[in-house]
Formats: sequence, C-alpha cells, structure tokens
Amino acid sequence: MKYVLPILSSLLFTIGFGQQSESLIPKEAVTVFSINNVELLDKIGVDELIKYDFMDEIHQELFDGSTDNKSLKDAGINFDQRLNIFYGKNLRYEVSGFSFGIKDKAALFRVFDDFDAINSEYPGAEAYGSFFNNLAIKGNNALLIRVEPIESYVLEVTDSIWFSRGNLSPYYNAFELDEEISDEELLSQDIAFDAIEKNYNELRDSVEFMIQKAYLREVLGGLLIKGDNLINTSPEFQELLLHPVAGVFYMDNERNFDRAKNLWYLKTVLPTLYLNIQELYEGNIITGDLLLRDQEIDFNITAKYSEPLGSIYTEMNQIKFDKRICRYIKNDQSAYFAYNINLKKAYEKAYEIVLPMLAKEKNAELSLNVLLLKLANEYINKDALFDTYKGTMFGTFNGIKKVKTRKIEFFYNEKTFEYGERETDAEEDMPIFTLGITTARPDIPELILEHFSQITSKFEKKEHYWIYKNAIFETAPLYILNLNGLIICTNDEDLAENHHLGYGTERIDKRQIKAIKAGGSLNASIDLKSVVNQFPLDFIAPEQQALMESLKGKSGKLVLKSNETDKKQTTMSVVYSFDGKEFAGKHLLDMLNTLYLLTK
Amino acid sequence: MKSICLFLLFPLLLSSCIEIIDDITIHTDGSGIFKYSINLSSSKLKVNSILALDSLNGKKVPSLAQIESKIATFKTSLAEKPGISSVKTEFNSVDFILKISIEFNSVAQLQQGIKTVLQEMNKEKDKEAYEGDWITWDGKTMSRIIPSMLAAKAKSFENSDVDLLKNGTYTSISRFDKPILKSSNSNCKLNPSKTASMLQVNTYDLKLNNSLIENTITLTP
Repeated sequence: MKYVLPILSSLLFTIGFGQQSESLIPKEAVTVFSINNVELLDKIGVDELIKYDFMDEIHQELFDGSTDNKSLKDAGINFDQRLNIFYGKNLRYEVSGFSFGIKDKAALFRVFDDFDAINSEYPGAEAYGSFFNNLAIKGNNALLIRVEPIESYVLEVTDSIWFSRGNLSPYYNAFELDEEISDEELLSQDIAFDAIEKNYNELRDSVEFMIQKAYLREVLGGLLIKGDNLINTSPEFQELLLHPVAGVFYMDNERNFDRAKNLWYLKTVLPTLYLNIQELYEGNIITGDLLLRDQEIDFNITAKYSEPLGSIYTEMNQIKFDKRICRYIKNDQSAYFAYNINLKKAYEKAYEIVLPMLAKEKNAELSLNVLLLKLANEYINKDALFDTYKGTMFGTFNGIKKVKTRKIEFFYNEKTFEYGERETDAEEDMPIFTLGITTARPDIPELILEHFSQITSKFEKKEHYWIYKNAIFETAPLYILNLNGLIICTNDEDLAENHHLGYGTERIDKRQIKAIKAGGSLNASIDLKSVVNQFPLDFIAPEQQALMESLKGKSGKLVLKSNETDKKQTTMSVVYSFDGKEFAGKHLLDMLNTLYLLTK
Repeated sequence: MKSICLFLLFPLLLSSCIEIIDDITIHTDGSGIFKYSINLSSSKLKVNSILALDSLNGKKVPSLAQIESKIATFKTSLAEKPGISSVKTEFNSVDFILKISIEFNSVAQLQQGIKTVLQEMNKEKDKEAYEGDWITWDGKTMSRIIPSMLAAKAKSFENSDVDLLKNGTYTSISRFDKPILKSSNSNCKLNPSKTASMLQVNTYDLKLNNSLIENTITLTP
C-alpha cells in the first residue's frame, strides 16, 4: 500500500502536467507568472503583448511587421493551455521567456517568421533560432527562451584570456607613444595586428557568444533531456498550478539573485555565517493567486519562510494598532499607507536568533562587532529607544501643490537695455508628502530639534510646529509636528498651519479605520488615476519610473493589506478595482507587468 | 563637454521658468564683449531633483562638481584662443545662474574660439555640427542665427516638459557705438538712442522655430 500512493500521485502528476506548457518552464526560473484563463487574452494583439516590460528581453526581433494587427489567437496559440512567463537570474546568466500551447503551428510561424529551423540536440524537440531568441517545440507546446550571460561574468572571462595572452590593459592609453607614429603607420599596424589576433572587444564578443551558447545548452539540456523543469524541482510551484484561479505568481526568494549577490561577501569571507544566514532564507518562497472578479482583480500573496525568520516576523506583528495616525489621513487621500510593527519585540527576537549565528563565526573583526553589539544591548536604554518610535507609521501622498520658493529674476532698463538681478517670490510644483510615527517620548525629538535650532537658524519653532527652511533641495521647507504622541514630517504647509490636530470630519471614515485595524502590519491604498498621473517622474529613480510608466493611464484603485502572520508564512492581499468599461484581460496583463517590475 | 552642453541647454530641456540672455557689444573696430547668462533659479527644485538622480532619460546626470569643472575647462581653454583677451565665468550653484563674459578682438575670432573649444571638449568630434557662421559682422551689418548644433539638439528633446517650457524667455541684446538704421526682425526693440536692440522670445516658441531670433542689423553709415 505504501508504494501505491506515490505511484498514483506520480501518475496523476504526469497526466496533469506532463504534456502541458508549464512543463517547459526551466528550473532556473526564479519568477513565474502563469496565466490559466488564457481565453481572456484572445483579443490581445501580439504587438500589444510584446510591448510589456516582461517581454522586454525577447521582443526585439519580433518587431518586424509580422506581428502587425495580429492577435494572440492569430498566432496559433492554444487557449486551453496556460501562458507562462518566466524570468531567472543567477551569478552567471539571466534567463527569460514564455511557454505556451500550440494549436496551429503554421499560424505560429506566420507571426514568428524570423525563426529558422536549426539542428535540434534534444530528442523529441524541434529547435528554431532568431538572433538571440530561441524557440523549442515539444509536442504541442512551445518555449520561447533567451539566455543572456551576465556582463560582469563575460568581462571576467575575457580579462582572464586577454591578460593570459600577455596583453596590456585594453584601457591603456598609448597616445604618448603613438604621437611619434603617423596616422597611416598606426592604421597599418592596427590592421596587421587585427589580422593575427582579436582585439579586446572582438574577444569579448566571442566569449559572450560561446558562453551564451553553453548556458543555453545547459538550460535546454536540463529541461528537454533530463526533464529538469520547475514543476519537478519545486513542490510549491507544482501545488500552485493546481489552484483554480485566473493566474498564479511564483517567486523563489531563496534563489533570488540580488539577495544571493548581497550574500556573496559572506559566502567567500565568512562561509559559516553564510550557511547560517542561508538557513534563515530557506524555503522563502512567495506565491500568489490572481482571481478575476467583476470589475476587480484580487491578488492573494503568501510568503513562506523558515521558522527562525518566521519567529522574528511573528514578534514584529505583536502590536496594537495606534489609531491616532488616522486623524492625519484624509478620506479622499490619493494614496496612503499604514505600517504597524513591534520593533522592540522584533529586535529582541532578532538578537536572540542572529547574534548566536554571528558569534559562531571565528573571525576577529566580526567577533569584535559581536562584542560591541552585546555591550550596546546592555548599555543602551532600549525602553527610551523603542518608546521614541513606538512602531506605528503612516505616510500619505497629497498630490501636487505649488510651494513658495525664492528666485532671482533679471530686470531691464528700457533706455539702455542694461539688466540687473533681484530676488522675488516664486512658485514651483512639488509632490506633497506626509510621514508620521507614533512616540511615547516626544521629549527626545524635541531635544534634537531644540539643539538644531541653536546651531542653525534654518530650524525655527512656530506655534504648533517646527520649520526646517529650505530642507528640500535647498528650496522648500519641511514642517515637523511633535504633538499628541506623533512626530509628523511634511512639506504640506496646509497641514502644518491648519490641520495640526488632524483633519477632523475630513479624515478617513470608521469603516476604513476598522479595516486598517483588522489588517496586519501593512495597509495601503492608492487611487491610481490621481497618483500615477500626477506623480512627477523626475523625482524618482529610473527603475521606479518604469513602474510608474507602466501604471500610467490606469483608473481604479489598488488596496494592499497584509493579513495573518505565523511562524511559517504571512499572507497579503492586493485588490485592484477598475472601470467596468475596460477590458479585463488587459488589466490582468497590466497587473502582471506591475508585479514583474516590482519583483525583477 | 556634455555636462556644460547639458547645462547650457537646460533652458530648452526642462525648465519651469527660465531666463537666458545673450548680450553682445560690438565696437566700430570690430572688438567687443559677449555675455551669456542662464538663470534657472525659478526651477531650483526641479534642477536639484534631477541632479540628485544618476541618470535621466537614459543619459547620465552630471554632478555639480562635474558641471563646475567643465565650466572651468571652458574658461581656461577659451582664454588661450587667439583674439580672446578676457574670459570670466560665474556659476551660482545655489540659484543655478551661469554667467559668461568674453572680450574679443573680432567677431570672427570670438566665433572661432567658441567653436574650437566646444570641439575640443566634445569627444564626438562632430565637425559638421560646428560648420557655418552663427554671427557675422562686416563693420556695418551684423547677422546672427541659432547655431545648427544647438538647433538640432533642441529639436531632438522630448516634449514632456512642453507646458513648462512655455514660461521661459530668451533675450538677445546687441549693442553698437553707432545708431541702428534697420533691423530685419520685426519683433526687435530699439532703445531710445538706437544704439542697442533687444529681441525677447519664448523658449518653447524658439524650440519650435529657431529663426525667431535670427536678425540682421544694419548701422547708420
């Protein structure tokens, strides 16, 4: 009997996933979006699809006119199967692509007409290539894949070969020597040298080409010969695919490259500590279900983690919500968040778990740091520290307002056209933010502000608030309110002057307060139309700009809240409600794209 | 060079209210003083926010130190050019006002000096961009146009800040020892003694139509 169940499950698994498009997701994928309800996308144009950021890595060669006015349906895609978009990155290469079912192969190649058949090294699979994109077809499933070596790794290999050949640095400036040689002589020397040996850039291109081929073979060999797909290697992903929802999201944070990169120093210099830290992240997998409802998309997220990490998170959540912050959140606020954590308990738990890990490492410098941590833990008044920031925080975006600034303007003498300068008032557009925390020790921030006001005239105490002149980019003031157990920083003059006690009847209603209170540590609400379309992109970093651009033109509301947290997992939900006139499949892709940008 | 170009072209790029003044004085013997001022003080917040970024629209944003260094290089290099006797620069990094003053022996030497320095500082070495005369003076008549390099750059800018550009002004002033007989640009104002002309245009209009500050001024014999 004991063999029957595994055999039965394995049979069910083979029947369930064996011949499906999801079986072509390589195990190297770290992030996967799998759309179950593909029917929704039948009206989506291929042109439209390839403009999404999640198609960025593979779309270039598809822009050749063959996709003009063609829908996914015209591309021969089987809508009875999942469309799986994946991305993965490790220390050597990035892998991206998507897998899907094929209904009409001829139609597929009418759209993707750049792909030429190549000899397949993989039994039972056909292979096609188009520049850096590769298409593998196995049965009625296809995999469009691109494998790109990490540039730093390519350069590392190139440098190694370049210098082993006795070459000087490719960046060596030989101008001083070359000055004595005429341009013609120099050119003929270069041609003669190029004929016998590759220059640095040519060598780098060759290395990149060969590495790219090797990695592609590694990925495809594992997938198509050994059958090492993500379903086989990740039970969580396998289970996720059984959810009866419109789409699912998977991210293996344990294999997340950026985290791995951050731990690289530990791995090489402090290997024991690395292993301990790695244990903390063991099983840190984030999964999500996308549910399509009437004029709404729900995204339910579950973050699983190891028990030590879970015990820190659980302690963090042991806190009562301080509703005083709600006075400063308006009912029609464009966007706000409330974050509620018990910092003291989280610190104590982290100290209990992380310090023994650090202490195990036999490294003089680290050992000294451990001693300093232990002493700080003994000497510092932790009650005063954690009473200064009690753990409840809120932030609001109040739209764009004109703020008063000073400018220099030129003025002209009409008789001579000579000009001079004078300082006058000016106004500039500025995003208005408010950030506040709860405190049980208002005397401590007051002490700091008093001190600053004694050393610079930029800090000045007004009736209800402190003003820090020209705090923002040496131009606009920052207002600091320290009252009623809250410390609030804002560039909103209206809040400082007229609403220092809160917004009164204009504040968020009881229903919303109840929802925040009932939620977990994080609650956020964003009115997409007023936030995304108003927010000045110049103020944020390029990668965040891409995220904001992806949301531009959207109407609707995003509500995010965390729910239950225990030692094994925490759950969160994002609800995206939109205008009913808009096309649900498009919203689903927009949502996926936003998630992709957030997780990339 | 890109740093200084970026700063010089900020007006046409992204300012919410910008003032540019070019002011040239040409004496009868052909010598004179050229002054160029860019005032971004009413866009301090925006300029500061951009300077805080690493890159903007895929292009690296120079630091204040890099801008100051390029201005210093521009000053030193130009001062060494023939016919240029004195170059002064003043950069107010709090209010973002740049002022340049150049004394020259002849208009041709001024133009050649600026072209040479820009080419020296520009790694792209795009010689064609510097071809043609931006300003000419034959003792009686002065003609000026927007340099093709600046015109092409301005045209290539994205229109994301169109509304903001509409508030900017470009003022072109020309001064002479003798009274002005006529001016080809009907928007050109003359002072009561007719020894100076002023042409003021909107920066957004100028971006769309570079010929707005084209002008040929003829002096009385």
